[in-house]
Amino acid sequence: MRIGRYRLKLEKRVTLPGWQAALISSFAILVALLLFSVIFLLAHIDPLVAYKEIFSYAFTNRYGVLLTINRFIFLLLATFAFIIPAKAGLWNIGMSGQLYVGALAAFAVVYAFGGKESISAPLNPWIVLPLMVLAAFLGGALMGALAGYLKGKFDVNEIVLTMLLNFIAFWVVAHMIKEGGPFMNPQGRGESFALPKSLHAPLIFGVPFTIVLALGFAVILEFVFRKTTLGYQIRAFGQSPPAARYAGIRPFRIALLVFFLGGAMAGLAGYHYFGAVPGVYKIARTYGYFGDLSFYGIICGLISLNDPIAAIPVALLFGGLSIGGRFVQGKLHMGFGLDYALLGVLMITLVAFQFFYWNKITLVRVQEES
Amino acid sequence: MTMSEVRAVEGRVEPPYMPDVPAAFRPGEVILEMRNITKRFPGVVANRRISFDLRAGEIHAILGENGAGKTTLMSILFGLLQPDEGEIYVFGKKVTFRSPLDAINMGIGMVHQHRKLVAAHTVLENIILGHPRAGRILNLKRAEEEVVALAEKYGFRIDPRARVWQLSEGEKQVVEIIKALYRGARILILDEPTSALTPQETDRLLESIEAMARSGLGVVPFITHKLPIVLAVSDRVTVLRRGEVVARLDTKDVTEQLLAEKMVGRPVLFDLKKPDVQPGEVILRVENLSTLNDKGLLALKGVSFEIREGEILGIAGVSGNGQRELAEVLAGLRKPTGGRIVFEGKDITQASVLDRWRMGIGYIPAERKDVGSIGEFSLVENVLMNFYFDPGMARNGIIDYAKALRLTKELIIEFGVSTPGPEAKAKTLSGGNLQKIILARVMARRPRLLIAALPTQGLDIGAMEFVRKKILEAKARGSAVLLISEDLDEVMSLSDRIAPIYEGEIMGIIPAEKAKKEVIGAMMAGSRGEETQQ
Amino acid sequence: MWQFVARSLDASTIFTLAGLGELVDQRSGILNVGLEGIMLFGATLGFIATKVTGNYLIGFAVALLIGALLGLMHGFFSITLGVDQVVSGMGIWILGFGLTTYIGNPYTGPLGLERIPTVGGVSPFFYLGVVLVLLSWFILFKTSFGLQLRSVGENPSVAEVSGINVKRTRYLAVTFGGMMSGFAGAVYALYYNPVWNYNFLMGWGFISLALVFFSMWNPLILFGGSLLFGLLWQLSLNPQLFLPGLMSRYLWRTVPFVITILVLVLISTKWFRTRWGAAKPEALGVPYVK
Repeated sequence: MRIGRYRLKLEKRVTLPGWQAALISSFAILVALLLFSVIFLLAHIDPLVAYKEIFSYAFTNRYGVLLTINRFIFLLLATFAFIIPAKAGLWNIGMSGQLYVGALAAFAVVYAFGGKESISAPLNPWIVLPLMVLAAFLGGALMGALAGYLKGKFDVNEIVLTMLLNFIAFWVVAHMIKEGGPFMNPQGRGESFALPKSLHAPLIFGVPFTIVLALGFAVILEFVFRKTTLGYQIRAFGQSPPAARYAGIRPFRIALLVFFLGGAMAGLAGYHYFGAVPGVYKIARTYGYFGDLSFYGIICGLISLNDPIAAIPVALLFGGLSIGGRFVQGKLHMGFGLDYALLGVLMITLVAFQFFYWNKITLVRVQEES
Repeated sequence: MTMSEVRAVEGRVEPPYMPDVPAAFRPGEVILEMRNITKRFPGVVANRRISFDLRAGEIHAILGENGAGKTTLMSILFGLLQPDEGEIYVFGKKVTFRSPLDAINMGIGMVHQHRKLVAAHTVLENIILGHPRAGRILNLKRAEEEVVALAEKYGFRIDPRARVWQLSEGEKQVVEIIKALYRGARILILDEPTSALTPQETDRLLESIEAMARSGLGVVPFITHKLPIVLAVSDRVTVLRRGEVVARLDTKDVTEQLLAEKMVGRPVLFDLKKPDVQPGEVILRVENLSTLNDKGLLALKGVSFEIREGEILGIAGVSGNGQRELAEVLAGLRKPTGGRIVFEGKDITQASVLDRWRMGIGYIPAERKDVGSIGEFSLVENVLMNFYFDPGMARNGIIDYAKALRLTKELIIEFGVSTPGPEAKAKTLSGGNLQKIILARVMARRPRLLIAALPTQGLDIGAMEFVRKKILEAKARGSAVLLISEDLDEVMSLSDRIAPIYEGEIMGIIPAEKAKKEVIGAMMAGSRGEETQQ
Repeated sequence: MWQFVARSLDASTIFTLAGLGELVDQRSGILNVGLEGIMLFGATLGFIATKVTGNYLIGFAVALLIGALLGLMHGFFSITLGVDQVVSGMGIWILGFGLTTYIGNPYTGPLGLERIPTVGGVSPFFYLGVVLVLLSWFILFKTSFGLQLRSVGENPSVAEVSGINVKRTRYLAVTFGGMMSGFAGAVYALYYNPVWNYNFLMGWGFISLALVFFSMWNPLILFGGSLLFGLLWQLSLNPQLFLPGLMSRYLWRTVPFVITILVLVLISTKWFRTRWGAAKPEALGVPYVK
């Protein structure tokens, strides 16, 4: 394409420095928000007003900020569930199933201690809480490892596999909490029993302690990928499985491991939302909503180019957007699912922008032809 | 002029489908001309003002090293690339090729070195693919008759119903030639036509090429190494160096030495000095080793041999005879179905890849881009491929990146790798430099056994000499070396003993000093060593 | 009993239609993991169009159109821009599931039109599906275009040097694939279960995708697989018909998914791969750059 004496030229990128990646990602988010304005315009709402409402509720309102942070923790863990296998070149879209199993495992601990019977059951949080976290971690991990095992052993397509496992886990949760299932709420509202008060997660300035876990894992994962033999092996396998095999890396071990760890992260996300967020403390009737929400982890992972630290601001932003979206949906009387729609638009914009991670467009002066 | 008239006038070449070319051309008439072709890529001029012409009935070879611009020129001629400057005339008509289809329609056919055939389809399906006469609804019966008739005409034999993946390299080449002829090619471009053939297959191909030229076709073989082929078959030869034409000669006036000098730009030493090393104790013993290929078929059929300290065993053979499987089974990448591998007295048949690296087995794979390196990784991380597990390089699971960086810098200097630095991505390196860094990192482990699969394939002469020198150095240091090569000259000049391989069997092992090229060639084509030696 | 069988055949039609589109897509070398998203779009927009106009034909036309457009979009991303096909497919799935939730929400509830008449107890789409299966099989394996399409999926560079326009062939395939997915979604929402609800497909698209992997990329086998899974799906919805009281109705819903996974594992075993795996298009999922 020619613009005056200049020509647009397309080139393959050889390297992508971090700041450039951040710039492209920010630009992608901006374009997505711009595109999303169309939805506000169609609803006869000034997009500027809508975005102002979204951001001010999500990041400045006292209640909004807490909701944003809780969602941020959830999204960050869901992002790690995506990132860890993605570093090994494998797709985990089973975070929703893994978080269901994590949540079920955590509630199973309470159930085993007899916490189902009464909201005031006097259970020792020093014993039960760590067990709940561990159970959620292992529950999600085993659900992930199931996919990892089948991927590593038989090379089953992991996208289809993890997605199918999501549906299985979804119905298993329904079985557990509805119509006479073992975790059914005694009041029979199609949700699980509520956690005893003694097991409500400790709060740090109103934020559940799971934020420490999420941020801690960001640092740990960054270290593992950058400095350790394990991280090196995962990255090598992700770049080129045959080259990794040549170097003595065992594909089966890697597949099993990354899905185990990824699933564990999703399991923790499940514990966080159903077991630690103030005001929830049960597997809600709308648990499917949270499962779907975890797919934001895919976008966060892609946009942060699978970097655990870069995922932090992205997850925070998306957490805020989805909370704010929910808020304006009510305030401006818009239809249900605004946050879902935003998820979709963000994702597809990002897909288009993938192109710019691998190509660059430069202006070249056209050589005058004599 | 209608199609039937074309056939009547020409009389000799009768492809079932005739492209849109003038019919009457006599032997000796110029049918293809390229004038001042220039093609630039970012940072390089691949072709600079190249001119070239071809007459009907002529075999005009184009000779040049890897990187001399042959591939670019070939792609331009076949419509895969468009030149920045210059013109192409075919049968006197100025043409612009936007795609291979344009070139095909002007009567140009191409036989690729890396065969362009769909492996899962039959020979016939491949030949009629994209052919206007294939019809909307496939008429396989008619096509089969025509193809068989065409093949017979030039003395080729093929089974049109065989699946391409079942064929040998030589057979695949025949399919490509017939495909081009069936499309009505009058000008045939052959890319490295003999590179994957046994000496016997080569002879047969050269006869066919001559038969095609006699029947009025123009043939352009592009050749890198096989100078004798140029001498044997061509009428004229054009030599390229660094993207330019440096010589155009009548073949009857040239010698091999002269061509090599023109091509490289300096006198070339054909002989390498083999270090004089007494072979020591047995390092590797392979007993009755068998394995399957990716299709699940037996690819290695009970192979046995030994390699001693300071000895090079050369496996000579045409590609696809089990060499790849042999290398992989020794490196631990492929499971044997039978037999034993004994390394320094220990049975390692079941040992893992990593254990083999740790024990002192080093493997240089033939697939240097896909297996031997990771393009998106820096050179440091590529060097780590063979060191991340090394106690000197990683402690408590944490890699000492500073140390890895130092090692990489040393290797870059020692092996003369041309690169912006150790942090550059491997994908930015040229083939020769990539091979140097792979070689450097494997050699840095001081392996007791070195497995080198096609170590010089696709390299320019400078890099090739360097790699060979380094392999001889490994031998001098006492490593046992298994050299797998498709280049018979290379095997003969480097090895102490030579083991020709054919369809997964070693046909005999011959000491280098007693080896004759014809004998080895015959063994590569399936004759038993004992018989030929008698 | 006959009603159960008829219902199963109706369910299988949806698998057949979506799977057939994906099969042709994959034969050309393009993987579209987002077909569930396209189905959601086809279903939702088709449903809305029919509900608003009261006309089934318009609904199906809209579904075909949106399917084609989304197929083209996948083509643009993966063929022209060279984006990873899985990323693009995931994008389309999430877009479909996100946007249709918002767009369809005001129309939640039943369609409220007279049902599409059946032919011999089965929907007319079942017969259409059979015809399309036979037609695709014939085109893929007996015509010159089919040979070209398969060659593009096996080895695009071979196709290119044989004078075939790789991009155009792939664009045709993805557009067809998208249309079929959109159509399948519309059959679901306008005939099989004409009630709109949030994210109602719950895995139909992903099972169709898995069915393509089982099918050896052959429409006839795909059809067989669809019949089986239609039956299975119907059974999981009505377990009381055969095995009352064995499991809760929720656990029954997992059965088709569990069986799908088991079959996926079976066809991924080495034993199976060396015998049947050869049918997989070799260039599947690999972007083609000249």
